[in-house]
Amino acid sequence: MQPLTPKILLFRTAVAALLLIAIMLACALVGSQDVSLRAVFRGPRDGATPSLDYEILMRVRIPRVLLAAMVGAALASSGVIFQALLRNPLADPYILGISSGAGLGAIIAVISGLSWTLWGRSPIAIFAFVGALGTVWLVWGIGRITGRHQVAGLLLAGVVVNAFFSAMIMFLVSIARGQQLYATIFWLMGNMTEEDLFVLWVGGGGILAGIVALFFLGPQLNIISVGHQDARSIGVSVERVELTAFAISAFITAVAVSLSGLIGFVGLIVPHAVRLLFGPDHRQLLPLSSLAGAMFLVVADTIARIVVAPAQLPVGVVTAMIGGPFFLFLLVRYSRRVYWPT
Amino acid sequence: MAKWWLLTAAAALWMACGYALVRSPAAERRAGPSPSIPTRIVSLAPNLTEILFALGLEPSIAGVTQDSDYPPAARDKPKVGTFWQPSIEAVIATRPDLVVTEAFEQQRDLARRLQRIGYRSLAINVETIAGLFDAIATIGAATGEEERAHALCADMRAEIDQLKAKTAAGPRLKVLWVVQREPLRVAGRNTFINEMIELAGGENAIGPTLHIYPAIGAEQVITARPDVIIEPAMLPGTVDQQRRQALAYWGRFENVPAVTAGRICIIDGDVVSRLSPRLPEGIRTVARCLRPDLFGE
Repeated sequence: MQPLTPKILLFRTAVAALLLIAIMLACALVGSQDVSLRAVFRGPRDGATPSLDYEILMRVRIPRVLLAAMVGAALASSGVIFQALLRNPLADPYILGISSGAGLGAIIAVISGLSWTLWGRSPIAIFAFVGALGTVWLVWGIGRITGRHQVAGLLLAGVVVNAFFSAMIMFLVSIARGQQLYATIFWLMGNMTEEDLFVLWVGGGGILAGIVALFFLGPQLNIISVGHQDARSIGVSVERVELTAFAISAFITAVAVSLSGLIGFVGLIVPHAVRLLFGPDHRQLLPLSSLAGAMFLVVADTIARIVVAPAQLPVGVVTAMIGGPFFLFLLVRYSRRVYWPT
Repeated sequence: MAKWWLLTAAAALWMACGYALVRSPAAERRAGPSPSIPTRIVSLAPNLTEILFALGLEPSIAGVTQDSDYPPAARDKPKVGTFWQPSIEAVIATRPDLVVTEAFEQQRDLARRLQRIGYRSLAINVETIAGLFDAIATIGAATGEEERAHALCADMRAEIDQLKAKTAAGPRLKVLWVVQREPLRVAGRNTFINEMIELAGGENAIGPTLHIYPAIGAEQVITARPDVIIEPAMLPGTVDQQRRQALAYWGRFENVPAVTAGRICIIDGDVVSRLSPRLPEGIRTVARCLRPDLFGE
C-alpha cells in the first residue's frame, strides 16, 4: 500500500464527500410518493395552494436524509475511536454503555408520559442524551479506579453496566402499556424521522466539530494504537489524548443516539470496512469512515422507508441485514492485507 | 494549540448563526385560515376510523391506516401506513385538513411533526370507556357533528345501561380474561377489558397487579378460581381452531371451576379489542359468555 500523503488524503476525502452528496440527492428523490423536481423548483406555493412536491421533498425527505447522514457520520467516527482506544476490534460506540443508558433514559421518558417539548423535541431525546452521557461518565469513573489494567477494567465495567441497565429496561418494558411498549421498541431499533431545521443545525454543528477535533488527534491515536509504552517514550501524553478522544466520541454518539434512537452496526462495521479497504492510518480512517458511515446510513434509511411503504421498517433492522453480509464479504476478500488493532 | 481555538470559535459561530437564522421552535402556521369544518380527514387508528364512520363523516375521510378494517368501507380508503408506523409522506399526500391521532408517544410524535409543517392535528386519548365517550364528543366538536356525537353517545349509553340492568341480578362470576396462553398473560384491573367485564355482570378473577396485562403462573390460575375463562381470538376466522387448543390447554387445571363446568368461552376478538362505537356489542358478547341463560341460550 502506498504511503499516505496529504494529497492522497485530500483527494480521497473529496471523492467520498462528492459521492455522499450524490447519494443523498438520489435518496431524497426516492420514496413512497413520487416527487417531480420541476414542481419543487417552482417553489413552496403552486398558485394559491402549497405545493405537495415541495413540501414532501423540502420539509420531510431532505431533513430526514440530513439526519441520517449526521447520525451515520457520528456513529462511524466514534466507532473508529473506540476501536483504537480500547485496542479491541469488537468495540463499537455502544460498548461502554451509551446504548443502554440512552435506552433507559428514553423508556423512562415514555413511561412517565411527559408531554412538554424543547425546540419541538419530545422529552425522549433529552432523557436519552442525559442517560447516555451519565452512563459513559459512570463507566469511565469505574475504569479509572481499576487503574493499571484500565482497558480491561473499562470494558468489563461497560459490559456489566450495559447488562444492568438492560435488565432495568426489560423490567420497565414488562410493566409498560402496549402502546408505550411499541413506542419504546421502535426507539430501541432506531427511529429515524425528519427533524426541525434548528435541531439539525445544532446537532450537525456539534457532530461536525467533534469529528474535526477527533481528526486533530489522529497522529497521536496512531501512536497510541501501537502501544502505551512506546507512545509515552516518544512524548505523547497518553492519558490526556485518551480522555479527550473518549469525551468527544461519547458526546457525538450521545447526540446521534438522542436524535435517532439506537442504530446498531454502523459504528462497528463501517470503521472495519474502511480499514480493510484503505488501511489503519487514523488521519485517513477518521474522515473516510465518517463519510462512509453517512453514506451507509442514508442508503439503509432509504431502504427502510421504501421497502414496506407506506409503512416503514426500523432502520436498525436494515443496517444489520445489509451491513452484516456486506462486511463478511469484505472480511473474506481483503483480510489478508490488513493490520488489526489488537 | 491554535487549531483547537479556531475549531471552538468556528463551532460557537455556527451555533450563533443557527440561532439567528433558522431558530423556529414555534410551529409555523400555514397561510390562510384552515376551514372550520374539515373536509379531508385522516385517521391514524382503527377505532378512531370507526368513530368517524359512526358520525357519518365517510365522505370527508381522506385516508386511514392499513389496520382500519371496520366498517368494510374503510378498507377502500387510501392507506397512510400502519397504526404503529404511519408514513408522514403518505399523510401529506392526502392533503388533509385534519389528522386525528391517538395520544401515545408514537402517534403524538407524528402529530407534532405534522403541526411543524403546518397541518392541523387532533391527538385523542382513548384508554377507558369514559375516554371513549370524551373522544366521540371531541371528534364531533372538531368536525361540526356535535349533535350526531351526542346522539351516538346517548344510544351507546342506553344500550350499555340496558345490558347492565339485565345482568345486575344474579351472582357476580369471576372472569379470567386470557390475552395470551404461552406464556400465560391475562387482563389486569387497570384495563378497559376490566370495565367491560364489570358492565357485563362479572368480576376480574385477578386482583390489582403492578402490570397492566400481568403474566401469571399456574398457581395463580388455581387460586384465582375463575368461574369463566374468556379468550378473544385475535385473528379473524380462528375461533374454532383456538377453541380446540384452549380445551386441550385448560384440561390440566382440574380444580378450576371454569374448567370443571366447561365454561371456557372463545369469542371473536374484533369486537372486544378496540374502544369504538361497537363497545355495546362487545359488552353483550362478554355478557353472553357469563350469563347465557339471560340471552336464551
